[in-house]
Amino acid sequence: MSKLQANISGIIKSSVIDGPGNRMVIFFQECNLNCMYCHNSHTIGLCNLCGTCVDTCPTNSLKIDSENKRIIHNENTCTRCDECIKVCPENSSPFYKQMSVEDVICEILEVKDFISGITVSGGEVMLHAPFLSLLFQEIKSHSDLKHLSILIDSNGNIEQEKWNSLLPLIDGVMLDIKAYSAKTHKQITGYSNEKILKSIEYLNDKNKLKELRFVLTPDYNNDESELREIAKLMKSVSPNVGKTLIKMRNYGIRKEFSFLREASSEEMNFAKNIFVQADIDILVI
Amino acid sequence: MEEIKNRVLQVLSDGNLDYRQKKHHLAYIAESTQDYPDILKEATEALNEKIICDLFEGNAPYRPRYVLPDYAYALKNGVNYLELEPPTNFDEAINFLSILYLQVPSITGYSVYLGDIDTLLLDYVGDLSEDKIYKKMKLFWRFIDRTLPDAFVHINIGPEDNVIARVILRIERELKQVVPNLTLKYDPEITSDELLLEASKTVFEVAKPHIANHKMTAADFKGEYGVVSCYNSLPVGGGSHTLIRLNLKKITDLHSGNAESFISGTLKKYCEMTLDVIEARSKYLVECVKYYDTDFLAKEGIISLDNFSAMFGFYGLAECVNQLMKRCGKELCYGKDEEANQLAHLILEEMKKIVDARELPYCKANNGKAFFHAQSGIDIDIEETAGARIPIGSEPDIYSHINTVAPHHHLFNGGISDIFHFDETVKRNPAAILDIIKGAFRKGMRMFTFNLSNGEFIRITGYLVRRSDLKEFREEGSRYGSALFAANSMDNANVDNRVSKRVISNEQVAGKY
Ligand code: SF4
Ligand code: SF4
Repeated sequence: MSKLQANISGIIKSSVIDGPGNRMVIFFQECNLNCMYCHNSHTIGLCNLCGTCVDTCPTNSLKIDSENKRIIHNENTCTRCDECIKVCPENSSPFYKQMSVEDVICEILEVKDFISGITVSGGEVMLHAPFLSLLFQEIKSHSDLKHLSILIDSNGNIEQEKWNSLLPLIDGVMLDIKAYSAKTHKQITGYSNEKILKSIEYLNDKNKLKELRFVLTPDYNNDESELREIAKLMKSVSPNVGKTLIKMRNYGIRKEFSFLREASSEEMNFAKNIFVQADIDILVI
Repeated sequence: MEEIKNRVLQVLSDGNLDYRQKKHHLAYIAESTQDYPDILKEATEALNEKIICDLFEGNAPYRPRYVLPDYAYALKNGVNYLELEPPTNFDEAINFLSILYLQVPSITGYSVYLGDIDTLLLDYVGDLSEDKIYKKMKLFWRFIDRTLPDAFVHINIGPEDNVIARVILRIERELKQVVPNLTLKYDPEITSDELLLEASKTVFEVAKPHIANHKMTAADFKGEYGVVSCYNSLPVGGGSHTLIRLNLKKITDLHSGNAESFISGTLKKYCEMTLDVIEARSKYLVECVKYYDTDFLAKEGIISLDNFSAMFGFYGLAECVNQLMKRCGKELCYGKDEEANQLAHLILEEMKKIVDARELPYCKANNGKAFFHAQSGIDIDIEETAGARIPIGSEPDIYSHINTVAPHHHLFNGGISDIFHFDETVKRNPAAILDIIKGAFRKGMRMFTFNLSNGEFIRITGYLVRRSDLKEFREEGSRYGSALFAANSMDNANVDNRVSKRVISNEQVAGKY
């Protein structure tokens, strides 16, 4: 099997919220957006072995292994205080692991009897397209796994051709749109949204867009014109694509963004009504 | 005599009991004036110490504990004793069953088994529309809840997908009654995913049905089987004379020594003693009371002695294992650590061997042996975990949970049940539950159910309570004080002591007087 490895920040063996049925979810490290409200900001960056977390850890559970360019984490002494994650200047964590396709397959085999499929999430998984391609091929050619459905949870900020090799292997993509106007998008995520809009159109054309989600962030993307543009975008894709309006929750976001506020129920209703008026069947969560 | 008079007066003047409950308790007191069936002194002591527990069956068994009438036979042949002709349509069939239910004896006075109701009624559907069936079944369901107000009254549906099973699930979601308790017999090759999905949605609302592995359970019986009372699986047209359970925690307390000597010594001794009690009670019922010669159900072939056996139960496996581990200087726990799980498995296999080696009279339904049963517990179990379950609150993740308990489910031909807990979010994704149910059965589980963290109904030991009833009870105070909140099982305990409730688990209440 290939030597290809990916940085995996975590695996959840039973999730009921990442697509239909009971699913195993594999989270990849590293993201190419930097959303203000990111609830898992320690999955955005890659570790550069600066050592800040090692010095901070109150239980001395971390050590730099310079030879292998990684951090050794002593799970027995760690108290899960998360101080290391909070101080990391790279929005990274000392916990993610390098895994091969084979390693991931082993994890799936352990729970195969209990799941409908797997979901890959992040970070931004599409940064690992070659790894995904191998992983999915492996699943589809494995007699005990080929029945599993495969979903990708992506931010869509990726070149169109990156999707091509994956689409025949997957059941669908769940994608976020953070804002329609490029300016607002840049405010929220630090980047513009052209590639994302293209991904939405492309995936919809290929019948692989499964869900389109919009996170309502008061004072940023909740004015009427912005909402109408989002509604138009949602309307432009197939009615079979699930549409979800999500209330931004400020639980677990970084200190520097603690000024973000959650939408009031009036604001949620206002947004919902715009989608309803546009005749969109929208789920609010 | 003075003492009896006082006990009687206490019942007569207890304003919390209704008329029928009083009569039930008075009968219990009368029965307690008889000598216990012939057992050794040591066994009597073990009963007094609640090391062996007969679950308030009373001193002088005059009816079997679990009776599963062959309702199909009765419907086909009519019942002379009740002057009932075989029904010819749906209304008559429901009326027939309603009458018969009220005549089926049990420890609580309420039948523990109301039949595989969808199969029974399908023959009478004729050209009735689904809506008509729904209206009739809804009244029938209300009748059952109001006339058989006991949480151990149990009805079965499945494994075939059919209009009656579906209508029942819909009615369950609408009426939200505690009674009847409900089991869906599930077979992946027969039951449709749609019916299983309907069942799962119903569990979200009312914490039932319980799901039984049909193929696995059916293979343990010569004929038809039913899931009754607290998840006992027993033969239809028969049942169990008695259920005696062994308290594994208590016998571990008594034992001084390691796990090895426990298994070869203490465990064996008390299993045999439990079997002695079972034998004595079965003989009393058959030979002295002559129940099976005299009751109309037996005389008319609706039940037959040949379809009866007895049940050997136990509880408190978790405490037993954890304590034995401690004795070897190991802080290892059942449900968490592989070594403890292995010991648990060894103990269960040993018990099963002992039960299977003992020839018992009047146990033809199981080839002269008792059915082996992991007893799901009752309200008085404060220190012991039900059957072979992992203690509430220390369950591992769902897969480890299944992997811990599934390997021993095959041992329990008399039934076992486990409860899995899920977060509310699963309501949005019922397909996830289907995945887990199928996975659990693939791993060899026999029976289980699940609870939602915020569901309106809570199922703890084997029966249901409404969360709102609990709340009311909590606000009125409890004799357990702060301990009340310690565990849900104790919540259950307290609800049941609140005897003024119309629907109760009548089984244990009598023992208080
Ligand atoms: S995890 Fe963050 S703080 Fe720790 S060494 Fe890596 S970059 Fe530095
Ligand atoms: S979470 Fe663990 S490794 Fe990180 S700082 Fe706390 S104790 Fe140290």
